[in-house]
Amino acid sequence: MPKHEFEVAMTCEGCSGAVTRVLNKLEGVTFEIDLPQKLVWIESDKDVEVLMQTLQKCGKEVKYNGTK
Amino acid sequence: KVNLCTVSLGVEGMTCGSCVQSIEQRIGSLPGVIHIKVSLEQKIATIIFDHSQQSPESLSEAVEDMGFESSLSESSTAT
Repeated sequence: MPKHEFEVAMTCEGCSGAVTRVLNKLEGVTFEIDLPQKLVWIESDKDVEVLMQTLQKCGKEVKYNGTK
Repeated sequence: KVNLCTVSLGVEGMTCGSCVQSIEQRIGSLPGVIHIKVSLEQKIATIIFDHSQQSPESLSEAVEDMGFESSLSESSTAT
């Protein structure tokens, strides 16, 4: 499965917690969050667009950095 | 006709001002939401809304959709 890298404007544990919860609701993804670097890695077959929209639900700025 | 209501939602999972701001901005921009004030200390979001466009349940869902836990604590009708 491709591993996508996103930059999400997270500033605290509450932010990363919110990201964790919205991603948990989306089935078929495995992810890692690096809070200090504001990066989220998602392993999934889903469209980048879908993942992007899910991350944006948190109300934070999201940037797609491509696959790793 | 606008039917204004006030609801207080319990919100869990906010830890800083940036969490508060994202909730205020996102929920505040929903149709029918007139005013929103989020308190980090009390873990409460107080929302004034138009009952014909939103309900306490739909607002609570919108908060949960953002990745926070929300509970309906009390709702009251305003004039």
